[in-house]
Amino acid sequence: MSKRLFPLLGHLNRRNFIQVTSSIAAAAAMPKILGMSSAMAQSGSTLVIAAPATPQSLDCNFDVSLGTFEAIAALYDGLLGFEKIADPETPTARREDIAYAPDKPGGVNMYGKLAESWELDPDGKRVVFKLRQGVKSNWGNELTAEDVRWTWNRAFELGALGAFYTAVSGLKRPEDVRVEDKYTVSFNVDEPNPLLLKIHTNLYTPVYDSVKCQQEGGTEDPWARKFLENESAGFGPYRLQQMVRGQQAIFQAREDYYAGKPAIDTVVLKEVPTSGSRVQLLQGGAVDIAQYLQPLEIISLKNAPNVVVETVPASFMIWIELNAAIAPFDNVDVRRAMNYAFPQQEVIKAVYQDLASPLNGCMPNIYPGFAGEYYSYDHNLDQAKELLEKAGQGSGFKTTLAYNAGDPVQEPIAIIYQSALRKIGVELELKKVPAGSFYNFVTDRKQPMIFYVDSPWCPDPGYSLTLYFDSKSYVNYSNYANADVDRLLAETAATADDNVRLAKTKEAQKIIMDEAPWAFIAYPNYTMARKADLKGWTYYTSNNVRFQDFER
Amino acid sequence: MIEPAKGPGPSSGEAGPEVEQSTSGRFGFFLAVLRARPQFALGYGIVGAVLLLAIFAPLIAPFDPVQASPADFLRPPGWPHIMGTDAIGLDIFSRVIYAPRIDLTIALLGTVISAVIGSVLGALAGYYETRRGVGTFFSGLIMRSSDVLQAFPVFVFAIAVVAVLGQSLQSIIMAVAFVNAPIYLRLMRSQVLSVRRLRYVEAAYIAGVSDLKILLRHVIPNAIAPVLAQLSVNTGWAILLTASLSFIGAGVEAPTPEWGSMIAMGYQNIITGHWWPSIFPGLALALTIFGFSLIGSSIEVLADPARRRTIAGELQRRKIPAAATRG
Amino acid sequence: MRVIAYVGRRLIFVAPQLVGILFVSFLLVKLIPGDPAVLMLGPFATDEGLIRLRTELGLDRSIFEQFGIYLWRILHGDLGTSWQTTMPVTSDLAQRFPATLELVTLSLLMALLIGLPLGVAGARNKSGVLRKIADYYGLLAGALPDFWFALVLIFVFYTILGIAPAPLGRIDFTVIPPVTLTGSLLIDSLIAGNWPALRNAAGHLVLPVLTLGLINAAPILKMTQSTMQRMLEADFSRYAEMCGLPPRVVARKALRNSLPSIITIVSVLYGFLIGGAVLVEIVFSWGGAGQYAVQGVLNADLNPVLGFVLYSAILSLVIYLLVDLIYFALDPRTR
Repeated sequence: MSKRLFPLLGHLNRRNFIQVTSSIAAAAAMPKILGMSSAMAQSGSTLVIAAPATPQSLDCNFDVSLGTFEAIAALYDGLLGFEKIADPETPTARREDIAYAPDKPGGVNMYGKLAESWELDPDGKRVVFKLRQGVKSNWGNELTAEDVRWTWNRAFELGALGAFYTAVSGLKRPEDVRVEDKYTVSFNVDEPNPLLLKIHTNLYTPVYDSVKCQQEGGTEDPWARKFLENESAGFGPYRLQQMVRGQQAIFQAREDYYAGKPAIDTVVLKEVPTSGSRVQLLQGGAVDIAQYLQPLEIISLKNAPNVVVETVPASFMIWIELNAAIAPFDNVDVRRAMNYAFPQQEVIKAVYQDLASPLNGCMPNIYPGFAGEYYSYDHNLDQAKELLEKAGQGSGFKTTLAYNAGDPVQEPIAIIYQSALRKIGVELELKKVPAGSFYNFVTDRKQPMIFYVDSPWCPDPGYSLTLYFDSKSYVNYSNYANADVDRLLAETAATADDNVRLAKTKEAQKIIMDEAPWAFIAYPNYTMARKADLKGWTYYTSNNVRFQDFER
Repeated sequence: MIEPAKGPGPSSGEAGPEVEQSTSGRFGFFLAVLRARPQFALGYGIVGAVLLLAIFAPLIAPFDPVQASPADFLRPPGWPHIMGTDAIGLDIFSRVIYAPRIDLTIALLGTVISAVIGSVLGALAGYYETRRGVGTFFSGLIMRSSDVLQAFPVFVFAIAVVAVLGQSLQSIIMAVAFVNAPIYLRLMRSQVLSVRRLRYVEAAYIAGVSDLKILLRHVIPNAIAPVLAQLSVNTGWAILLTASLSFIGAGVEAPTPEWGSMIAMGYQNIITGHWWPSIFPGLALALTIFGFSLIGSSIEVLADPARRRTIAGELQRRKIPAAATRG
Repeated sequence: MRVIAYVGRRLIFVAPQLVGILFVSFLLVKLIPGDPAVLMLGPFATDEGLIRLRTELGLDRSIFEQFGIYLWRILHGDLGTSWQTTMPVTSDLAQRFPATLELVTLSLLMALLIGLPLGVAGARNKSGVLRKIADYYGLLAGALPDFWFALVLIFVFYTILGIAPAPLGRIDFTVIPPVTLTGSLLIDSLIAGNWPALRNAAGHLVLPVLTLGLINAAPILKMTQSTMQRMLEADFSRYAEMCGLPPRVVARKALRNSLPSIITIVSVLYGFLIGGAVLVEIVFSWGGAGQYAVQGVLNADLNPVLGFVLYSAILSLVIYLLVDLIYFALDPRTR
């Protein structure tokens, strides 16, 4: 479940700040204060980012907090990356080319990062990477196949997040990753696996400098857990200069980065926990980028001088889990009725200010293999009422909806939904859960209804659907179980033939949409709010910024 | 804010001037006082109006206070939304007048519960304080426990109580009651300490009357006046505490109309210049508390024989026709 | 000598009282639903991991044992770690407590500056304009919810007029803060001679201090006025008046005799505001101690809550002790 976006919201609040605080601050025009501050942001080679949080840990095997995403992308590199293209609607922005590319190996348009070339066996059971030679880590050690092997061994040994990546790519034991020679490494699996190649584009599958790690860890800590929590040993474009948790992290561009020194020398990731404050800092010119803003704040920025707001369709999804293990949501008609009763359009307008699109599917609509034609739940209370009657719930029922106190959009959506449901006799009790413990509520799977925000990082239909709808998946928080879906997903995972995979995942989507395990809400956009002179922003499906993309 | 009202001595009930002895005279005097001190009348007026609005809210409110109409989000004050709408299209005016139903219920119940518990424990602590044996031990225990309670930072304590009991009306009432109880405990104890030294109590004790009877018949009735005076002041403070808890997110569940949570919800919108969702409920809140403190100070004046005399004298001088001028 | 004996006697009670306070908070926070181990490890936690962490944290022991261990650690100066900030509570509080103290101290100073003269004036002329002002001020200020008043001030002085700094903490992050010595930004910048930081920090203090100062002037005013009035009506004042002493001298003597109750109310307010300023801290993103403790309660983070309660209890005790010592100094009969 790499993609856990959950930390996103989790951490906003986990760090000592009450969300409410925010906004106020941002009050409209805010001329004064920040005038003097521009010194910091104007220098051509410094980038200041107002972020909701500094990284908690720098070890991507354990930490999935917001700041950590940015840090991992700067400090480490993986074997592969997606090629980039201009965003079709926002030409100033770039994004990954994740479309299905039948003529490329693995069906994806990729370029080599740490890998110079790669070769996928036609049966999909083995891939061999030739590494770039002469690539240096931030400690000066040269990249070798041993580093790749050690990295995946670490994932096997420590479990946690790494275990997820080994599992989805079909690796069963450490020996499946083999050093062929100094610069050649191979991944070998028993069954054909469609993700064998794609997985190496993932933000959270970077390669470690094993020499440095072993040196630091010694025999006490063979996987250098302590060291990697606060330091880095990787082959990425930046090195960590300073990190004061809760305040800021400073990154310095590496002269010896294999792809050439990035344009921006110094990046300051400043923790500004309230979104309103981030807005102001950007307006006042004190920072170059303000991350994760609220819809109304984004709208208010559209007319601000020297500020550019780019908003693009993203891999985020927000929905409400309808727990199939709890009555009355064990009844498929009740779940359908819940969707007919959901005023999707109104929510997108009032809560998202149109900075989102309706969630009309069960995986990101920007991913290949997405099928949007199976959503048939346009707001219709009569239909909902009819379905409830059919399910024997004609007189309505009472249930609870849990929402995250740390996510400012959830409470308003919950109230709007409550108002709509009241009209068909369903009484919804709202349960506010502190951000710090919200994900326990989710993973418990004991709430009849609970919000969830997520984004599967790997742009692949099999991967996305398996996460949420395979009855054995850890992330299947709605307790959805359908034998046909399980079978289709298993078959998808066992073949590398893309045409078969697309057909099967499409069929799975049809069943899932029909059985409505979620109340479908929206695809919120990803918004970049930045200074006008900053160029090069690229949207990634991992929903983070990568410093090396920017220039002035 | 948390200063216990300096209640008048145990003698307060007695020894008033003759001016308000007859029943009708009492009420007449009250009215005369209101006329002489218009700010008191204002207090009763405000609280009365708030109560009426709350009771008749379903008849007065132009919209359902919890029915969102997202199409009408953030409408500025105007017609038909005289105080505008909030971010999801709830009518602010309807919510503002529904809110006292919750706020006053919590505040009044919380205050009464704390007054009852606090007074009973305070009476026991005071009564047994100088007796030897178990009684003294327990009275010491009560006092030390209340020390501990009072040493707690109020909000942290109240939020913790709500967190432990779960977010519900009852737990907020309990939190308000817990936080206020020590005030009444101390007040009652100090009153009882002085009353129990009075002759008639000693006499009853010597005559072998049971402790319970002495407490109920002789001690508590003579010590209760300052507690009652404290009630009104405290209700205002309890409303404030309720709203504060909601503001911090430990109050009533959304979208129940409640002033504190309305301020908190609207707070997000001030940023974009939408001030009405939080300014109006704040005004209503402040006005209500203001009303309660005016009533509180009127009770303080009326319960204090010396000040009552002053007013009576003043009334006489002004020749205001009232029972007070009898004589 | 008497003073020393008195202080000694007081201090004997301090330790058991502190333990009592800690124990109650310990129980209370432990009762809050939410397993810290689950919260700390997050959704990826394995069962073994949880069990291991619970053992590490001592969560598998009885509550009394846990409390004993906690006390033992306190005696060694270890208040534990906050899982939210991943920092030791002592260093978190070292940063946040001074922020709150600075805010509360200045606010109460301001409250005194308003409440004391107005209260004295109100008591001296019972039917004048000043008395009316004092009466209404006391009632109105007492009725304002501080968090809402803070919002109004921000809306007016920051959003509309644009003359106040943004409510985003104690100092702009673009200003280089002084080296931390006392934790008070004002004092530290003075010591360091860092004038930009001084000006900036003072600017950030204006609105929050105004909020708390204006509102908390009300109880001080009421107390001053009522005590002062009693003192002016007391026999010694009448006697002084009859002896022909000028009204100013009489008032001065009355005020001197009113000081104990005024000091008491100030000390009570001080103790209250350490935790009670939290709402204003939130509105101004102050990063104070109250905010820290409230987040602790909301996220089942035990150590910050206990650390905060301990610090503020000690602080209240110190303040009350100081107040008693001031009584000694003021009351000639004790000498």
